[in-house]
Amino acid sequence: MMFLRILDRLEEWSIAILMAAATLIIFVAVVHRYAATLAIPGVQDFLLSINLSWAQELCIYMFIWMAKIGAAYGVRTGIHVGVDVFINALSTPWRKFFVIFGLLTGALFTGIVGTFSVIFIHGLYNTEQVSPDMELPMWMIYLGMPIGSYLMCFRFLQVSYRFVTTGTLPRPDHTKVEGIEAVETLHETQPQPAGGKP
Amino acid sequence: MSALFIFGLLIVLMLTGMPVSIALGMTVLTFLFTMTQVPIESVALKLFTGIEHFEIMAIPFFILAGNFLTHGGVARRMIAFATACVGHLHGGLGLAGVLACALFAAVSGSSPATVVAIGSILLPAMTAQGFPKRFGAGVITTSGALGILIPPSIVMVMYAVATNTSIGQLFIAGVIPGIVLASMLGGVTWYRAWKNDYPRLPRTDFKTLLRTFKDSMWGLLLIIIVIGGIYSGMFTPTEAAAMSAVYAFVVSVFVYKDMTLRQVPKVLLDSANMSAMLLFIIANAVLFSFLMTNENIPQAMAQWMIDQNLGVVLFLLGVNVLLLLAGNVMEPSSITLIMAPILFPIAVKLGIDPVHFGIMMTVNMEVGMCHPPVGLNLFVASGITHMGITELTIAVWPWLLTMLVFLVLVTYWPTLSLWLPRMLGMM
Repeated sequence: MMFLRILDRLEEWSIAILMAAATLIIFVAVVHRYAATLAIPGVQDFLLSINLSWAQELCIYMFIWMAKIGAAYGVRTGIHVGVDVFINALSTPWRKFFVIFGLLTGALFTGIVGTFSVIFIHGLYNTEQVSPDMELPMWMIYLGMPIGSYLMCFRFLQVSYRFVTTGTLPRPDHTKVEGIEAVETLHETQPQPAGGKP
Repeated sequence: MSALFIFGLLIVLMLTGMPVSIALGMTVLTFLFTMTQVPIESVALKLFTGIEHFEIMAIPFFILAGNFLTHGGVARRMIAFATACVGHLHGGLGLAGVLACALFAAVSGSSPATVVAIGSILLPAMTAQGFPKRFGAGVITTSGALGILIPPSIVMVMYAVATNTSIGQLFIAGVIPGIVLASMLGGVTWYRAWKNDYPRLPRTDFKTLLRTFKDSMWGLLLIIIVIGGIYSGMFTPTEAAAMSAVYAFVVSVFVYKDMTLRQVPKVLLDSANMSAMLLFIIANAVLFSFLMTNENIPQAMAQWMIDQNLGVVLFLLGVNVLLLLAGNVMEPSSITLIMAPILFPIAVKLGIDPVHFGIMMTVNMEVGMCHPPVGLNLFVASGITHMGITELTIAVWPWLLTMLVFLVLVTYWPTLSLWLPRMLGMM
């Protein structure tokens, strides 16, 4: 499915980029705040002429968008954990029932929230409400809500469908760490004879 | 009546195993729809505006920083330094593990991340040296829990968000309890190693010590950036988190070169995934606590508690039992976000300091991470060591018991947490 593959990549890239961009913005804003106090002729005037007061607001909205889209991605990776101690103790058919019940409730909740936010944004569309610092129209900023919620709803349905057809659920692997090879780094922590060469 | 309905529904929904965030949101939605006239469209807006705070954004930044540190070779150099410091004492690598966890905890805000970062390098080395597998697993699983007590700490940010407490005060208050717990865990490790005569390392010469210190300095410097930056007021906690994320990136990719630029998108994606999950829980928990406040439930419960004349000692005991029980079924961020807004008003009415209460809750969460059935540290350690959860549970008990003793200490001796922030004039 071409469409699904594009959607997957789009989801992944947008949250990774939002994460990186928000970090950079705050970093630049902080560096700017301190650099502008240094009395370097010419440079200081230039730095003082840049206004970065919108940085915090932009960072907040970027992270909220990241949270909304990332929550949908999280359904696909199975990172949203619940209290599964009890249902794991049940017999297989009952466990299956509750898993599907949970997934469909998730789809229902996100579907409802998505629809509410569409209604809500529709009401805002004709108003002049803008954000305090960047002065962007508020309906545009809130657009992350329906996008994220409907996407999450779709992911819940997708995971339920896969569970019904294949019986597998996505599970995050907490133990795998890329870049850390236990064996390779072993010798680093091995005892070294006193005075010996490493 | 409404309180019974809300809690009943929440518990039933959670027991079906659905994500905690969805259970919270669904409870609010159902209650508003069936029992009140509140327009339910406002739920959608609240899910957005509930997390519209700059303080909350410290969480994604700290997660990103932690991931760079884990993958970027900072942990490995800290282990080498810790080994050079204490490896020659009884307990050898085990003791070094406690110290390395404490050091890594001072730059990372998460417990499982600390277990992964330190454990995946140190545990194979310990086994190779002839330590019983159980000993190593026990040390690292419990010492990894220092991750959320020694600042920075994601759980403390959650508590601060849920109760409007100062993140800076909480962070500074966590320093001394963190050092005390690390010493206690180290003491148990030392004692057990001494009794069973586990292998020790030869004493390192001063040159090696200096070399390992210089190697790990880039990582250790981060402690000064975060704690120093927040304490001196140079950065807000969120800014400090963002600075440490950028710093960790630069150190991993350009200084240590343990990570290539190619791996960066994967780290970003993983961090975004984890952060989005936490932010989604926070959004729903804020919604939930908004409902609770709207129905006057925490206030009513506080009043009821006062009327019972329980007193501080019994109340704190009750809170500890409640939180330890909750730790059996839920993971820390959910517990903190759901319980803190409920318990906090009662604690304040009884005259308990908000910061002290926060540290106590954090220690409770630490204990919950180290015992079954849902202790995340255990699962991480089990993945690294390929040990079953039952065997690991037996392995951690001496240290877990120590943590419980420490919990009593923290609960009934507020000065332990409050001395440092008071002395520094922060509160």
